[in-house]
Amino acid sequence: MTGAWSDPVAWAALAPLFALAGALLVGLFGRRWPEPLPGVVASLAIAAAFVVAAVAAVGLLGRDAGVALTLWPFLPVAGLDVSVGVVVDPLAATFLLIITGVGLLIHVYSIDYMRDDDGNARYFALLNLFVASMLVLVLADSLVLLFVGWEGVGVCSYLLIGFWYRQRANADAGRKAFIVNRIGDAGFLLASFLVAATFGTLTIADANAQAGSFAFGAGVLTAIGLLFLLAAAGKSAQLPLHVWLPDAMAGPTPVSALIHAATMVTAGVYLVARLSPLYAQAPAASAAVAWVGALTALIAAVAALAQTDIKRILAYSTVSQLGFMFAAVGAGAYAAAVFHVFTHAFFKGLLFLAAGSVIHALHGEQDVRRMGGLGRRMRLTGSSALVGTLAIAGVPLLSGFFSKEAILGGVWNSTLVEDYGSRLLFALLLVTAGLTAFYMFRWYHRVFCGESRLARDVAAKVHESPGTMTAPLVVLAALAAVAGYLGLPAFAFPNWIKSWLAPSLASVGALHPPLWVEWLLVAASVVAAAAGLAAGWWIYERGRGALAERVGGGVMGRFARDGLGFDAAYRAGAVSTAEGLAAGLAVADRDLLDRGIAAGVTTASWLGRAVAAWQSGFVRLYALATLIGLTALAVVVAALGGRA
Amino acid sequence: MIAALMVLLPLAVAVALALAPKPAVHRPLAMFGVVATLVLGLLAVDGGGRLEVPWIASLGTWIALDATGAGGVLARVAAAVLLPTVLWAGARVESRPHLFLAWLLATLAGLSGIFLARDLVLFYVFWELTLLPGLALLAGWGLTHRRAAMVKYLLYAVAGSFAMLIAVLAVGPLSGAAGYRFDQLLAAAPLLDPLTQTWIFAGFAFAFAVKLPIFPLHAWLVDVHEQNHASGAADVAGTLYKVGGFGLFAWAIPLLPAGATALAPLGLALGAFTAVYGALIATRHAHLKRILAYASLSHMGVVAVGLFSLHLAGKTGSMALLAAQMVTTGGLFLVSGMLHDRRGSFELDAFGGLARSAPALAAATLVVLFASIGVPGLANFPGEFLALLGAYQAAPAAAVLALLAVVAAGALGVNLYQRLFQGEGRERVRDVTPLEVAVFAPILALTLWLGVAPAANLTTFEREAAAAQTVTAEAAPVVAEIAAAVGVLAAGGVR
Repeated sequence: MTGAWSDPVAWAALAPLFALAGALLVGLFGRRWPEPLPGVVASLAIAAAFVVAAVAAVGLLGRDAGVALTLWPFLPVAGLDVSVGVVVDPLAATFLLIITGVGLLIHVYSIDYMRDDDGNARYFALLNLFVASMLVLVLADSLVLLFVGWEGVGVCSYLLIGFWYRQRANADAGRKAFIVNRIGDAGFLLASFLVAATFGTLTIADANAQAGSFAFGAGVLTAIGLLFLLAAAGKSAQLPLHVWLPDAMAGPTPVSALIHAATMVTAGVYLVARLSPLYAQAPAASAAVAWVGALTALIAAVAALAQTDIKRILAYSTVSQLGFMFAAVGAGAYAAAVFHVFTHAFFKGLLFLAAGSVIHALHGEQDVRRMGGLGRRMRLTGSSALVGTLAIAGVPLLSGFFSKEAILGGVWNSTLVEDYGSRLLFALLLVTAGLTAFYMFRWYHRVFCGESRLARDVAAKVHESPGTMTAPLVVLAALAAVAGYLGLPAFAFPNWIKSWLAPSLASVGALHPPLWVEWLLVAASVVAAAAGLAAGWWIYERGRGALAERVGGGVMGRFARDGLGFDAAYRAGAVSTAEGLAAGLAVADRDLLDRGIAAGVTTASWLGRAVAAWQSGFVRLYALATLIGLTALAVVVAALGGRA
Repeated sequence: MIAALMVLLPLAVAVALALAPKPAVHRPLAMFGVVATLVLGLLAVDGGGRLEVPWIASLGTWIALDATGAGGVLARVAAAVLLPTVLWAGARVESRPHLFLAWLLATLAGLSGIFLARDLVLFYVFWELTLLPGLALLAGWGLTHRRAAMVKYLLYAVAGSFAMLIAVLAVGPLSGAAGYRFDQLLAAAPLLDPLTQTWIFAGFAFAFAVKLPIFPLHAWLVDVHEQNHASGAADVAGTLYKVGGFGLFAWAIPLLPAGATALAPLGLALGAFTAVYGALIATRHAHLKRILAYASLSHMGVVAVGLFSLHLAGKTGSMALLAAQMVTTGGLFLVSGMLHDRRGSFELDAFGGLARSAPALAAATLVVLFASIGVPGLANFPGEFLALLGAYQAAPAAAVLALLAVVAAGALGVNLYQRLFQGEGRERVRDVTPLEVAVFAPILALTLWLGVAPAANLTTFEREAAAAQTVTAEAAPVVAEIAAAVGVLAAGGVR
């Protein structure tokens, strides 16, 4: 990999700088600007980043290596030679396009969504700063710089979840996200230390290359893989660290769309894909990734069934879809995972923006039990949301169908985790796919179909959102519909995205079952989607939700609505333990160390009284003591030195 | 010569401040003193930054100063942090401001001496003398319960000094070194037998552990901070004076490699424990300055962990973290003064919702606060990362324990920000004043600079860290034996 500024591909290194410049401009001066100037400036910064990203992506077409560029030295210590440097390769370019493309649409959408908010400039500055951090994350050539972006997105996410900080619940949600992410970050640091100890480098390419020279399944590679899994689980809201994402919906809805659906939460998937040569050598760690993903997918889908908040349903859905991606990277189907990141960014971004449009129209109402029939009043929002719903449900020929099928096929045919129950993983994911179609049908139906259950005063004011908000919806709907054609089933058709990504990803051997089996897998995912949608139709359209109410009101319903009890368990276990430990140490610090040592000393409390007499003369006393001490020192040294 | 001026100039300005009759000249004079010292520090890059003249020939001591190494970096950062501190103190201290400023300048002179001294006796002299300004600031401008805090501080300091005095006395004659200059000691002291080295190292380490401070020798720190003047300026001076880590780095570890190796496991354990201990306890307090004191105690635990790893990256990182926390902890103490200005209290219950009426104050505080909890791209991260990385190479368990502190510090940071700035504000407070902008500017600039481009400083630190001697092969088994004995003793002590 070589690079210089003369190569247009390297200009992608400017993308984070554009976003950072936007953040600084808007953050420092935006408060005095009239609306919508902060939003416009912020959007222009992202547009500029999108342009260099697109130039880089086009420039990379037809090359089989990326471009590396070293900017300045960072940690030149102990032979590690960590620099601030970037690598622009197909994997990075794909993420660059998603981040800046979807990011641009969401910036534009936000101009009207955040109109008249007194934190308008702060909002856009943080959104730009987020994009800058995310771009650093995907461009970084070393684990250290990756971690700069990794924590940077965490900080921005924290600030944006708690954006409306005056309400306690919002600030609490931001705090929770930050702390849970920090647990994952500790895993990242530990993994980095182990990488440095094992490979003597923190540069990703070097570490990947060296991992190849280790024995397949070497224990140290497994350990590194598991530690990075902890990191990825924190950032991507996977078991057992998924608990922050549903609460993160406290932030403004465009934030949920960009950060908590399309980009930041996919960082864990990116991390595993970026380290795919290492994971490909560590089957046990890969299996752990896959199992965490599959179980998360299933559990989050079950939780999504019972939610009543329009955004929380989507949040659990995001957790679940990220689980699909984890299952894929775990199984060695790296390109399939990145493909699903790509399509998911469109349809989930779209669904969140549609939800935002609904919330905007209903002046803050978020409970789907008090919605219904909105598709007739908000035609653009409703029809865009329908495309998104069908895409995520896996309806054939829409984008989600292709990427989900690629994951299911990839898991079924995995050689990497073949010995770790790949067929069972497949079964879990297939069931989850059916549940996905069901809960998304429920979501769409409760919001947009059937009779209106709106409060009367709200119903009178329902309106379609303005053009700056609906235009991004339409663009995303179009992308959610057609993006899948970049990755047609590889066994029978040209799969462009797989060959595009090939230079960046490890290639893991896959099973090649007879063609009829491959087609059967496709059929299975079609059946799962159809079954889910049909069940949804039967319960919500035909049965008017009566059955759902009976089940949802029971113990199981409550259990699912509470996210299967994770929060309660953490409160009872870890949180209270940590608080108890802190309280105990604080008492010990005061009563044992401080008073204990002091008590031993107060026998000499005459000193205190002497000091009282002197007040600041006390200082003179010390000066005198020092002088005497120094003189004594000189004398003793002279005496000893004389003898020596 | 420049190195000598870095000590003498602030000292002269301090004296002038104490004597100067006209109040109008006090602040400009003090600012001149700090700026000039900083400029001198920046000029002292090559030969001009070194000085070596005999002091007391019969003792073998020298006036040896060097501003081109690790100490030079720390001296420059200390001067840079005192810049906003003097600015702030000059405006906020109402009673006898010229004397307060004089003591700040005296602190700077003493710190320059500590950081630049390349003669052990000279180092010890500066070490002792610099205690004075801190005590004076507490005695003259402290709060109601300052007397108890002073007594406690003094007792700890004297105990530490006594231990170091013995160590200083022992290391020269016992090793038969030609003199007390660093290079003279380095030629002889590492050859001492391991047991002697261990005893001498223990003397140094005790003094340095008090001054770092680390558990269980930290009790003075919290009270001193709590009782210092409400502007927070004296706390900055105190923060800069936490030079124990530097003492280990520049003197004890290179001169006594066998002693360092023998006591390293104990140091690692105590350091890692301190890191978690400080961060956890900080979450239980509701007094802003006590919280900052415990949080900085946690940082010092990480510094100790990095140093006692005896690993190149660990030692280098510890010095970087020491420099960074001067800026971030110091900056947070200045913020505490700004907050006290607005609410007249350090109790967290007096705050909440300040971000609404003071958004710029909230944003600037957030940057410094996040820097102090180790968010990458800001000041503390490079040092913290390398210190822990080094610790991991030496003792993975210590690194894992210290990493818990990273999680706890994160929780602490966001909890604190929430209590201060988020929520519904009770009443309006004013946003940053022009003076506060001027105070924040250098703090924020340093926070970013140390976080984004730390390479030059790291290279300087590493060069010096690499000069330390290692334990010879024949001494290694003895060292291991001593280390084991220390471990048994420590375990017995815990029980």
